[in-house]
Amino acid sequence: MSIDHVLMFRLTLYWNIKTVLFLLCPVWIIYEQVMIAALDCSRDDLAWTCLQELKRQFPGSQRVKRLAGMRLEALEKYEDASKQYDSILQDDPTNTAARKRKISILKAQGKSVEAIRELNEYLEQFVGDQEAWHELSELYINEHDYGKAAFCLEELMMTNPHNHLYCEQYAEVKYTQGGLENLELSRKYFAQALKLNNRNMRALFGLYMSASHIAASPKVNATVKKANVKYAAWATNQINRAYQVRYASSKRNEMDSTFQGDD
Amino acid sequence: MSIKLTTQAYCKMLLHAAKYPHCAVNGLLVAEKQKEKKKDSHSTPILCVDCIPLFHGTLALAPMLEVALTLIDTWCKENKYVIAGYYQANERTKDFRPNQVAEKVGARIAENFSEAAMIMVDSTRFTMGCYEPILAIYDHHENKWKCRDCNADCFEDWCEAQKITSALLEGRSYESLIDFDNHLDDLRNDWTNPEINKSVLHLC
Repeated sequence: MSIDHVLMFRLTLYWNIKTVLFLLCPVWIIYEQVMIAALDCSRDDLAWTCLQELKRQFPGSQRVKRLAGMRLEALEKYEDASKQYDSILQDDPTNTAARKRKISILKAQGKSVEAIRELNEYLEQFVGDQEAWHELSELYINEHDYGKAAFCLEELMMTNPHNHLYCEQYAEVKYTQGGLENLELSRKYFAQALKLNNRNMRALFGLYMSASHIAASPKVNATVKKANVKYAAWATNQINRAYQVRYASSKRNEMDSTFQGDD
Repeated sequence: MSIKLTTQAYCKMLLHAAKYPHCAVNGLLVAEKQKEKKKDSHSTPILCVDCIPLFHGTLALAPMLEVALTLIDTWCKENKYVIAGYYQANERTKDFRPNQVAEKVGARIAENFSEAAMIMVDSTRFTMGCYEPILAIYDHHENKWKCRDCNADCFEDWCEAQKITSALLEGRSYESLIDFDNHLDDLRNDWTNPEINKSVLHLC
């Protein structure tokens, strides 16, 4: 469902619930979600209404203060938003939400280097924040600092060993870094991602690409070359099967001609 | 050696950017393969007849980009097209300069097609009404990308492009647009977007 649908659904729900279960239902969580959805859709009128209701119900709440800061961010009033978050942090220096919003402001202003620095400092104190590690890996990838992006993804893989998406993204970063050693690592992690989820097409394509590149490299010996040719051939088969199963036969012919030609 | 865009190409580019307003998006532009190589190529501009949306979110990773370029290249050969350009819309609205990814992919395309163009979408002027073209077109000259003004001349038919793009945006057709990322999530998703092509043709 798109953000608009969420917004409309929540609005309808909100109006129905408000009249009947005002005191009993956790309607305030809905107010919060509708407000954030409204900010995403540039509906400042609606966001303001929700914020007023929340302020009335929870005066002096840090959580509501953060929402007020988010509204200022949406209006691009970054200095005012920053002051809002600073006041939250003055009362509660451990408030992670306010610190992360300050980093988001830096990102929105295009200050990637500062955002990376602040996020690193944040992670020194809050090592377990997975959302932050993932955000940092994305910031590093956008700055083309693939080594550091890989480090962040390694942290995520350690705490989420069964998540095939982190494995696969780590493999992509290693592949992009380049060099024979990184290509071999990339192939291994694509294979691991496939082991965790055998329907991950990116992992399958990645396995084919990395094995093919290793086999084509002049630096490898005949044994390694032979093994990688085998892996690439296996991946080709799996890709063709996947397309046969889910796709019309016209597309299958396209895949056949693309991948059988390369080896 | 300039390029022109058809309505279909422009539409799909903008629909892709509209579908993911919170992400960077990129894609390729394809033109019909010229049968004869004319020595005097200044007269006829290259017409980009279609656009293939590629990715949204993180654009700076290589493997899936290489897969996409390979598959699309094969599709182009079968349909007598050639990859003629690359477009990108950055994550931040106010950032519409080409970055390293855009320059690298653009250079790669230019190796195979000398008149390749790079297009950056200017999201600050992106409206539902599409009253003006919001692209910045970069041509490859002597290993550098030079910006050219984009006006109605860069389109096969600007009035038609403006009307149809606006209509499709109002009708939320972007929700059914498929990019290569969506195809990798589910192979049944067709990145040639036949349904949207039909809608464009229907409105023409």
